[in-house]
Amino acid sequence: MFKMLNPRRFYHAVGRKKFWEFILLAVFVLFFYGPMLNMVMLAFANEYSVPHVFPEAWGFKWWKYIFQQKNLVRSMIQSFVVALITTGVSMVLCIPAGYSIARFKYPGRKIFMLSFLLTNAFPKLGIFTSIAVLFYKYNLMGTYTGVVLIHMIHSMMFMVWLPASAFRSVHRQQEEAARDVGAGPVRTFFKVTLPMAMPGISVATLYTFLGSMEEAQGTMLVGTGKIQTMPVAMYGIVLDSSAVQIGAVFAILLIIPSVLMIFAMRKYIGPEAISGGFKMK
Amino acid sequence: MSKKAKQMLVAYGLVIPAFMVVMLTVAYPILAAVIKSFQDPKTGEFTWANYTYFFTDPVQLKNLLYTLYVVIMTVVIAIVVAYLLALYLRFTKSKIAKTIGTLYLLPRFVPAMCAVYAMITIIRDSGLINRIGLLFGKDIHLGMMYHASGIITMNLWFNIPFAALMITAGLGAIPDSIIEGARDVGAGKFKTFTSMILPLSLKDVVVASTFVFMSNVGSFTTPYLMGGTSPKMLGIALFDQFNKYLAYNRSAALSVIMFLICSVSAFVYIYSNLKEKEWEK
Repeated sequence: MFKMLNPRRFYHAVGRKKFWEFILLAVFVLFFYGPMLNMVMLAFANEYSVPHVFPEAWGFKWWKYIFQQKNLVRSMIQSFVVALITTGVSMVLCIPAGYSIARFKYPGRKIFMLSFLLTNAFPKLGIFTSIAVLFYKYNLMGTYTGVVLIHMIHSMMFMVWLPASAFRSVHRQQEEAARDVGAGPVRTFFKVTLPMAMPGISVATLYTFLGSMEEAQGTMLVGTGKIQTMPVAMYGIVLDSSAVQIGAVFAILLIIPSVLMIFAMRKYIGPEAISGGFKMK
Repeated sequence: MSKKAKQMLVAYGLVIPAFMVVMLTVAYPILAAVIKSFQDPKTGEFTWANYTYFFTDPVQLKNLLYTLYVVIMTVVIAIVVAYLLALYLRFTKSKIAKTIGTLYLLPRFVPAMCAVYAMITIIRDSGLINRIGLLFGKDIHLGMMYHASGIITMNLWFNIPFAALMITAGLGAIPDSIIEGARDVGAGKFKTFTSMILPLSLKDVVVASTFVFMSNVGSFTTPYLMGGTSPKMLGIALFDQFNKYLAYNRSAALSVIMFLICSVSAFVYIYSNLKEKEWEK
């Protein structure tokens, strides 16, 4: 087995093409997954002092520490509440808009569509600072309403464009067939159109939820410390925590929702579904 | 009411709520910011001073050039690497290609600050690379923390998978028959690439580069956690103007400047998207 670890032997054993493919895979995994794996390791390190590559003592010491911090536990709850509200409200607002843009032809359609690009064209922080000035005026600073609004802006473009491109890919003939056998327009929508557009919609929902879970700069600005979501707490931890493990544990707690959501929606997530949100066809 | 008018009503009814949210929370604040950027902070009179400050103050000018440097480096490296990766994923049908094809979707869903933190655990002075170096008796100081190279590395981590995803979707749309056709009439590999594959995928390259460009001009999390104190990325400079110096007019001017930088690439993006519309009809 160890003979294979000699690069020259390995090269001759698998052939030139395979060899370079393995190198590519190795570089890819090291760059994109190495840091993450290192962080996971650190999260379970009770002791990790300088010259050691691997922790001297393993355990759950820092997990216990984090769950004893009242403000950190509170930030987890607040993050979930905000993300759930944001996802719900944007679904109700944006999916119909996506359907309208995809299925109807009317004057101003293109303008509506492009208006959602605004959320991504102007620098986010510029929008946030300007909103913050308005929020002060209307007493929305440090409220759930304010934070949810900020989070909605964050992912609105995807929430309209992705479902729009998904609805467009449903053939009209399929809807017409349903109408021909006697289904009403509402029933056609829920039984034919919606299920077929589901992949695009799920990816959009996933984006909105995860986008809300990780939005930090706007929340930091508008939450004014009263609403402190996990990412905002994470900023604090990264910038001034004494032990590297605290950040590692907290980062993993922050990643868990993503992993769960991706696992639940894995059959929908593919290059086509994701890139659909960036085209205006 | 005619059927057509009814349909129109439904179409507008579905799109208006989302549109109104964008108008109130994005368009209006942007407008307010633009107006504010031309006002004197004390008297409220018209002035260019907020803008000239960012182009005459040596510190701010340095921030601007630094940001452009980081962003352009990110775009160029990310697009070249992503294109090669996408070509590999499109034209190689091996187990390794498939593995990479799945693995490269994940970075898109990892919360930004977690990824940044994971990278910090690797490259900081007492990070993994330094510790591995010590095993071999070398004291490696990468010097990537608080330096442009660290920010660029992190941007590549975020943007290579994203750009590769967009380009792969484009390359996937090129039918095998076109490539075989080119090969049949005697075109070599290189010729097939330059005359068929590259022109057909150029649009996706443009879309990918504009998005990489736009999302990095105003980037916040990476430079906030990894960047040094001078020079700063524009996102941080903006945050400082707003949060530290409470200079609302200047921060408005800076967001407009960032928007103008982005809009150059947004224009390219919209242009390349609309051009396609002509022949697709």
